[in-house]
Amino acid sequence: MRTAATRHQGDLEHQTAFARAVLDAEADVPVFLTGRTGRSAGRRFAVYRNNVYAGLIDVLAGRFPATAKLVGEAFFRAMAREYVAASPPRSAVLLHYGADFADYVGAFPPASAVPYLADVARLEWAWHSAYHAADAAPLSQEALAALGASAEAMTFALHPSLALVRSSYPVITIWELALRDGEDEPARLPADREDALVLRPALQVAVHRLPPGGAAFVQALSGGNPLPAAAAAALDDDADFDLAANLAGLMRSGAIVAMREPA
Amino acid sequence: MTTNPKTFSGVAVASAFAAALGLAASAGPAAAEEEQEKCFGVAKAGENDCAAGAGTTCAGTSKIDYQGNAWKLVPKGKCTTMELPDGRTGSLEAVDRDLPPTQG
Repeated sequence: MRTAATRHQGDLEHQTAFARAVLDAEADVPVFLTGRTGRSAGRRFAVYRNNVYAGLIDVLAGRFPATAKLVGEAFFRAMAREYVAASPPRSAVLLHYGADFADYVGAFPPASAVPYLADVARLEWAWHSAYHAADAAPLSQEALAALGASAEAMTFALHPSLALVRSSYPVITIWELALRDGEDEPARLPADREDALVLRPALQVAVHRLPPGGAAFVQALSGGNPLPAAAAAALDDDADFDLAANLAGLMRSGAIVAMREPA
Repeated sequence: MTTNPKTFSGVAVASAFAAALGLAASAGPAAAEEEQEKCFGVAKAGENDCAAGAGTTCAGTSKIDYQGNAWKLVPKGKCTTMELPDGRTGSLEAVDRDLPPTQG
């Protein structure tokens, strides 16, 4: 008779073999998978395997709709299938799936003809993450005004949903055009690159275009730098940085949730 | 201390902050546009909100009109005063009416 320990060991081996075979289409059907007649359940296992892939590809297609639209459904699903095989879910929480999809897209040779594709995917991941991030109330105009007198000594706590996407392409415009209904309109793309600030101050996710130096500014602030140091970093990044305009943008977008004296 | 042209004095930062407050106020409160709330039991079948994407999505998945556990974003304050057929009203929390039959 088998002891509980060996039975447990056997279960674990079965599960490991099963999980490996589900994701690897080349792998043999685990020998312990049999039908009622005792024959190998190869065809039914293939159905199961296909469902796992199709489900995960659907998740990615729903999470990266603009990316999918830019390359077409057939290309996207083929690319997503490769990604699922290379990078299966590590968490039981499906919300977390696809965090490194943009990196995969950027390194996926067949997609190299669409050089901005990975940035669009990054923007969509930021959108998705902001949607599911913790709620936080932005500081009101009055609260900001009250803290303004000692603003130069303070560090900022930025919104927990906030994410930056820096791009060498007009990524926000591309994303907007891709998601717009009624395609086939001649796209007027700006020549300039765009950096995006993504956050969800209340119930809806907002995507803002950052002014010159804005991304470096936000990055420095979220790194805990006080205002003068963050402003210097932004000016270093872009000589056209305008401190007042950038601060106003952050205030208006609800990006600032607290201001503190440095400890 | 060496002077770096790329630094900001406390005075410059404080005045920029004050200017930013003025700019932010004059552009109108962006927050007002987002004064919305989740309203249950008011969406037509398949028109509920929740744009989180497939796999996790619930957008457009409600099965019947005015489904009590599906929500839509509406302007703040409008939810419970909305007029719906047969005396229904919207609710800020999920309600126990117009639910699709449970799958067995």
